[in-house]
Amino acid sequence: MVVTSSARDYFNRILQDISGMKVLILDSQTVGVVSVVYSQSELLQKGVFLVELVDSISKSSESMSHLKAIYFLRPTSENIQFLGRQLASPRFGEYHLFFSNILKDTQIHILADSDEQEVVQQVQEFYADFVAIDPYHFTFHVPSHYIYMLPAVVDPSTVQRFCDRVVDGLAAVFLALKRRPVIRYQRTSDIAKRIAQEASKLMYQEESGLFDFRRMEVSPLLLVIDRRDDPVTPLLNQWTYQAMVHELIGIEDNKVDLKSIGKFPNDQEEVVLSSEQDPFFKVNMYENFGDIGMNIKRMVDEFQQVSESNQNIQTIEDMAKFVDNYPEYRKMHGNVTKHVTLVTEMSKIVDERKLMSVSQTEQELACNGGQGAAFEAVTNLLNNESVSDLDRLRLVMLYALRYEKDSPVQLMQLFNKLASRSAKYKPGLVQFLLKQAGVDKRMGDLFGNRDLMNIARNMARGLKGVENVYTQHQPLLFQIMESIVKGRLRDVDYPFVGNHYQQGRPQDVIIFIVGGTTYEESRSVALQNANNTGIRFILGGSSVLNSKRFLRDLEEAQRVARSSTTVV
Amino acid sequence: MATRNRTLLFRKHRDALKSVRIPAISSPQSTSSRGGGGPVIELVSTSLLNPNRSYAPLSTDDPGNSSRVPNAINVGLPPAWVDLSEEISANVQRARTKMAELAKAHAKALMPSFGDGKEDQHTIETLTHEITDLIKRSEKRLRRLSASGPSEDSNVRKNVQRSIATDLQNLSVELRKKQSTYLKRLRLQKEGQDGVDLEINLNGGKSRYEDDDLDNMVFNEHQMAKLKKSEAFTVEREKEIQQVVESVNELAQIMKDLSVLVIDQGTIVDRIDYNIQNVATTVEDGLKQLQKAERTQKKGGMVMCATVLVIMCFVMLVLLIIKEIIL
Repeated sequence: MVVTSSARDYFNRILQDISGMKVLILDSQTVGVVSVVYSQSELLQKGVFLVELVDSISKSSESMSHLKAIYFLRPTSENIQFLGRQLASPRFGEYHLFFSNILKDTQIHILADSDEQEVVQQVQEFYADFVAIDPYHFTFHVPSHYIYMLPAVVDPSTVQRFCDRVVDGLAAVFLALKRRPVIRYQRTSDIAKRIAQEASKLMYQEESGLFDFRRMEVSPLLLVIDRRDDPVTPLLNQWTYQAMVHELIGIEDNKVDLKSIGKFPNDQEEVVLSSEQDPFFKVNMYENFGDIGMNIKRMVDEFQQVSESNQNIQTIEDMAKFVDNYPEYRKMHGNVTKHVTLVTEMSKIVDERKLMSVSQTEQELACNGGQGAAFEAVTNLLNNESVSDLDRLRLVMLYALRYEKDSPVQLMQLFNKLASRSAKYKPGLVQFLLKQAGVDKRMGDLFGNRDLMNIARNMARGLKGVENVYTQHQPLLFQIMESIVKGRLRDVDYPFVGNHYQQGRPQDVIIFIVGGTTYEESRSVALQNANNTGIRFILGGSSVLNSKRFLRDLEEAQRVARSSTTVV
Repeated sequence: MATRNRTLLFRKHRDALKSVRIPAISSPQSTSSRGGGGPVIELVSTSLLNPNRSYAPLSTDDPGNSSRVPNAINVGLPPAWVDLSEEISANVQRARTKMAELAKAHAKALMPSFGDGKEDQHTIETLTHEITDLIKRSEKRLRRLSASGPSEDSNVRKNVQRSIATDLQNLSVELRKKQSTYLKRLRLQKEGQDGVDLEINLNGGKSRYEDDDLDNMVFNEHQMAKLKKSEAFTVEREKEIQQVVESVNELAQIMKDLSVLVIDQGTIVDRIDYNIQNVATTVEDGLKQLQKAERTQKKGGMVMCATVLVIMCFVMLVLLIIKEIIL
């Protein structure tokens, strides 16, 4: 059960049965779905010589009837409209329509009505409706992402759209894996409950025929949880390669846009960080910053050796060898440049923002440390001029999440200091966070100070000391996965939907976080899978968060909450 | 992975709606034109780039299809450049089969044989030349595929170019590898042989040298033979080196030209979404440029000048004729 290969198989199937010159037409969402698992050169190999978006293809009208059109769209009403218009005046020889999710009968009617020229050869549903960024990590791109933080009464139609998109995406994931899961959700989260129930309705009642797969002994488990039960993980600064790049620069569909942080030569403005295509990245994506530095240095040394021998061409054999190896050499050169650029830029940012000291305090706030020391450290950093506003905000939020009830006076002091220091700080944001994800709202034992077992474990860890201060944090997800492995996920906290029941432990578990995942959590999942406990975990979310995005969601939610008339 | 086929449902609706929309007029003309339209498109599209594919009709059309809207059937013949691309692909295919033959010839030449091995050498040489020729010609023709001006058609052409360029590059790399392994093995073999021979000669020479003067002449003969042999060997080595240099040069040139076209796998250029963005911007830019060009051309001083000049020419001609008549 690997999401990247499931998505790839779909596209292989689409392209293999159609011969001749093809044009592939996508929409703005399916572009992301295809681009992470299929490359342009592979498309060319399969004879696809043009790729277009469905809204831009209607702008021109030259007839290209020597091409066969393959449409891969989400079945939204907008796309159906575009498609209808294009079928009415067809430009291509043949039309093959593939949809990434379930079509409604009315939509088929509309299409059939528009197809007067009878150019449509097939209409299929191929359920690749998720962005498979890593083998065990998928995401959706849900618009109005912040809406999950607000109760449904504030904006019911947007919430409905959010839930629909998530439920459709989850259905597609399970159809791609050909399983029908048992569903559990986090009791304290209304939106998680709603998504779980709607997914169950879809899979067991509305489309039960479609989901009626051969039953294995143990059904897989779908666990729907809420981001707000662990608000700490997206706020922390990261020090492992993939997570760090996303936190400091930003990764979108496995692409990194470097234009936002400086000037680069044309071919290095945007780079690709994909574990499937880049073997160096695959090995190093979960390593911490120090180890990456060493590995990159080793890679650069190797490359230097190769390029020296390339310059040292004396005999004809050397010439011949150089010409033979040139494509490899070029690829290696590009790869080395890419990683060196990334690490250099990140080092610069770490230095500018004094992230070493900031992050140390963050980790202490998240993991251990006493309240007094924490207060002092945070105050010092707030007073420090070179710490950025973003980091100040994060520190205060982490302190607030941890010591919410401990000493309200000191907390107030920090709020005031933050408001006075940061010009752009929107007042009340930290309080809004506490209202959303404060200690009363959270169910899980985020700081290891509720459950006796966890307290003991923390003490033991404190005595033993940690390997690396900067990566000592374990996301709450880790505890959840451990409970599932031991078969001890409490029904009280994570009830089953309806009359679902699971005997024994599941073998495949998909954990969906409403509100977004983080790369730190996907790393946790990947490492857990590498432990071979017999249970395979896959992580999914409505987006991939870093601290900026999480804060943006908070701000948007706060703004909407303030402007709405109903009391939040 | 689960999929669901909705084509049947779709066709049912389509036929139902059609019979409601247009009353069925079955006439031999329309059905024949309909029948002609379908297979024509089919033939045209299957012949592209896949000369080996058997012609198989894709869709089963109901014979009961009645007349359609008149301007419906676009029996689009593909543009001319498609023929060019087809030709190049055929060349690539031929080069590939020849490569297989070359591999066999290499293997045969490397096997120990009593004969001279000159024949095998000759076949290998000719095959290598043919393949390099094919690659060179394909590469030259490939340049003609590129089009100017951004349009969807030019994007298709560019992509076809890239795909063929990748094939060509792979071919030339494969050829180089085969050649180098062959030469390496050949050298090992030859040195083995000559090494042994040299040894024998040396021993022979030594033993004879210890004899008296009469044997000097014999020794000299042996020495001469040895010299001649090593001379011949050097000449042959030189020829081989010349060949290698030539082919390296040719292929290096081709590689350089092709590497501009070939996509580096794993880089941002290989991403579909990146290419779509670029297409969008270039098409928009192209539209603007075309519009600008149209405007300037309309205002066009050029057209005015040309017409004025032509009129003047005519006037002059008329004056000349009149002058002739008067005089």
